[in-house]
Amino acid sequence: MKAVLLDGIVLGLGFGLLGVGLTLVYGLGGVLNLAYGELAVLGAMVVSLVKDAGAPLALAAVAGVAAAMAAAVLLDLTVMRPVYRQSGEHRVLLGLLVTLGVAFLIEGLLNWRDPLGALTVDIGGGPIGIFGVPMPMSSIWASAITLGAGAILVVFLGATTFGRAIRSVMQDEVGARLVGISPSFTRTVIFALSGALAGLVAVTSAMSSPLTVTQGFDLTSFALIVTVVGGLGSVTGAFLAGLLLGIVDTLSAYYVGQYITSVVLLGAAGLTILIRPRGLLGR
Amino acid sequence: MIPLLEVDDLTKHFGGLPAVHGVTFGIDDGEIVAVVGPNGAGKSTLLKLIAGLERPTRGSIRLRDEPVGGLPAHQVRRKGITMVMQTPRTFPSLTVLENAMLGAMFGPAHGVIDEREARRRAAESLAFVGLEALADLPVETLNLHQQRFLDLAKALAGRPQLLLLDEVMAGLNETEIRASVEIVRRVRDKLGTTVLWVEHVMSAVIELAERVIVLDFGSVLTEGAPDVVMRDSRVIEAYLGEAQIA
Amino acid sequence: MVVRVVRSLRSGTPVARSGLAALLPVAGTAVVLAVLPPIWFGRSTYTTGLAIITLVFASYAVGFNVIFGSTSQLFLCVGALAGIGGYATALFSDSASLPVFVGVLLGTLIAAIVGGVLSWIAVRRSLGVIFTGILTLVFSLAFQNLLLGQRQLTGGSTGHELKAAATTLADDRVGGYYLFAALVVIFLIVFRLIQTSHVGWAFRALRDDETAAELTGIDVSRYRVYAAVVGSAMIGLTGGLYAYSDGFINPTTFAFNQIDVLVLVMVVFGGLGSLLGPLLGAGVFEAVDQLLSSSGQIREFLYGLMIVALFLGFRRGLVPALGRLARRPVVPASPLQPRTDDGPAVPSAT
Repeated sequence: MKAVLLDGIVLGLGFGLLGVGLTLVYGLGGVLNLAYGELAVLGAMVVSLVKDAGAPLALAAVAGVAAAMAAAVLLDLTVMRPVYRQSGEHRVLLGLLVTLGVAFLIEGLLNWRDPLGALTVDIGGGPIGIFGVPMPMSSIWASAITLGAGAILVVFLGATTFGRAIRSVMQDEVGARLVGISPSFTRTVIFALSGALAGLVAVTSAMSSPLTVTQGFDLTSFALIVTVVGGLGSVTGAFLAGLLLGIVDTLSAYYVGQYITSVVLLGAAGLTILIRPRGLLGR
Repeated sequence: MIPLLEVDDLTKHFGGLPAVHGVTFGIDDGEIVAVVGPNGAGKSTLLKLIAGLERPTRGSIRLRDEPVGGLPAHQVRRKGITMVMQTPRTFPSLTVLENAMLGAMFGPAHGVIDEREARRRAAESLAFVGLEALADLPVETLNLHQQRFLDLAKALAGRPQLLLLDEVMAGLNETEIRASVEIVRRVRDKLGTTVLWVEHVMSAVIELAERVIVLDFGSVLTEGAPDVVMRDSRVIEAYLGEAQIA
Repeated sequence: MVVRVVRSLRSGTPVARSGLAALLPVAGTAVVLAVLPPIWFGRSTYTTGLAIITLVFASYAVGFNVIFGSTSQLFLCVGALAGIGGYATALFSDSASLPVFVGVLLGTLIAAIVGGVLSWIAVRRSLGVIFTGILTLVFSLAFQNLLLGQRQLTGGSTGHELKAAATTLADDRVGGYYLFAALVVIFLIVFRLIQTSHVGWAFRALRDDETAAELTGIDVSRYRVYAAVVGSAMIGLTGGLYAYSDGFINPTTFAFNQIDVLVLVMVVFGGLGSLLGPLLGAGVFEAVDQLLSSSGQIREFLYGLMIVALFLGFRRGLVPALGRLARRPVVPASPLQPRTDDGPAVPSAT
């Protein structure tokens, strides 16, 4: 039981980070990036390429994160520009459709280059006892990286001037422009951040199980569930919801089985929309 | 005789803040009543409550002794209350005639009117406001003044008993204001429709209204004949307060 | 406002014609669909198969067009609704030993109820486009997982072979073609009848401006649910008939990225809310698909490229774009001088 719970927390941390990346972009004018999971897969494939070329793991991981980040920035600078020129629900819908197209584009590209591609990050080292439970080294590394990234993110958004600028754009685009913050530059930064998070999650999740080319849509839907439960646009909410759903996922998978678990998670998202559309901590 | 509209202790709070507080008044058949007051006095909220666009926190609204408070807007419409808003709510992808047809079709109390009859009523109502020559144009080609008239034609095509007007003369020039005053007068004289009307353009209020209700801070400050009310010191104070803030 | 979203994504002029004349485009379509096999592809089983797929997608697309094109409800569960029809047909006829047509009818009915309930929830909770989209997407994914998980019932990922399947249709593809051609024509007739009735007027109004529609006396919620029920029934019926004619279904047959994405592209490409848009969209899409089939692995990439280009470039859809070319607006002189500039309609306050 304790082991299952700890596994759940490890998984939940990953979920949380995944959700944060999606929610950051959503908070910015309501665009749901359906290509989000594909960015993660893209990052993973780059890690795998660089690793296979003989580079050290750390370098490969950095390259992968950078690649996902670059892809997100490219996305923002090209197809998202006309989307953000629209307003209101028109923007929301166009954003949904365009990023769906981009998801196909990336998945198609990866499938074409390497249909059997998969990333496995082998950490090695024996398990370490935590609360009397032997935790594999990979879980510890993944959690540490996730917590580190989460902490940096929280400090960045909460305590730096630029982070506050980002949050002000997320709250009020027009107001932000009035006080001299450029929404388009901030947007690019957020896309970069979101892409980097996607890449990071790809690396950490590949530490426990292989990440394949075809998993982009699954990652997007997981991120979507987490964001919906946490409250679209809420960073803390996404972390919290990730943790919660990770524990639920592991417990349910352990006791009931994988398919029902997916239904349970999706049900959680559905119920959130019905009972509290703002999510756990949404505005 | 039962008044056409009775509003009793009508109250609306937005998150604890009262926008309309304990408002009580009645309107008889065939009256033209203006609601005035400084900005933020709750005038528009009052109309939205009557039209069913907002739900009252407390109090009742009765049309010919039948409760209509809290009903959804489409049901209020079919009871015979219609509203023209400051920003004309027309259907931009349809033509002028089609806009009026929708009013004729879905507005009346006794179910949906068939297309042929709706077309006839719509044409009639467009002619009434003087837009018949524009009937086949897309709404987008109309200016603000024309769009308000179209919105009015759409409302009238459904044969309402009570017409609510929300600052429909804002943003118009002198000529257009005169035309609007004229048309509202004809609505009452020719069609017998009662008019409850929120307005900032005082010249129009004094010229047209038979009775004025003054709202301040969500409550009725006073009511009476326009010339009497406008001389009331409390009313002047309420407006002066606004002028000083501005 | 949902209004503006969909307004710019959809066809321009509404249909004011009524009576039999309104059905002329459908009659023309019926004739074209009827003569295509003898004069073109009737001898090729392969091409006929493609034509069937096109018609199946066109049927889904018409149903989706009723829901999304007419009333702006983003239903991302077309595949799931079709799956309800398909699996209900399979399970009622095979496991419960009911006649196939009863299974198809039950499937249609269940799909209609599910669609209606989803819409009712969305309406009651005032969910906008995005939340309606997420809710229905979540439903799709949950349904997919249920199909995969309930192995004893559905056969899981191995799929289900319909014992009651139409063997004649499987052998004689042309028969299948005419079945679905008839289905599309019936759906188009229903769509046209809705368009020209007062319901169609209500749809046009609420799509333009919900508040204005309410103020005009239109029960927006009721018409939304109504559209969802009719559209979902169409989708469920198509799914059921597909299962019946093909004889084999598995969860992938009705997966989100197998059905919903394509249907969305077809309907938006054809022109949201237009009568023949979905059929045309399905036709063009399948034609492009054939052209791309030789490109092998890069196909999905090209799809993505196409979707992005389509949505950014052809936002109003093909049919309306052609329509605009065909009729340039003529603005007559008027006594009240209509605006000619493109500026905002609301001037500054005095």
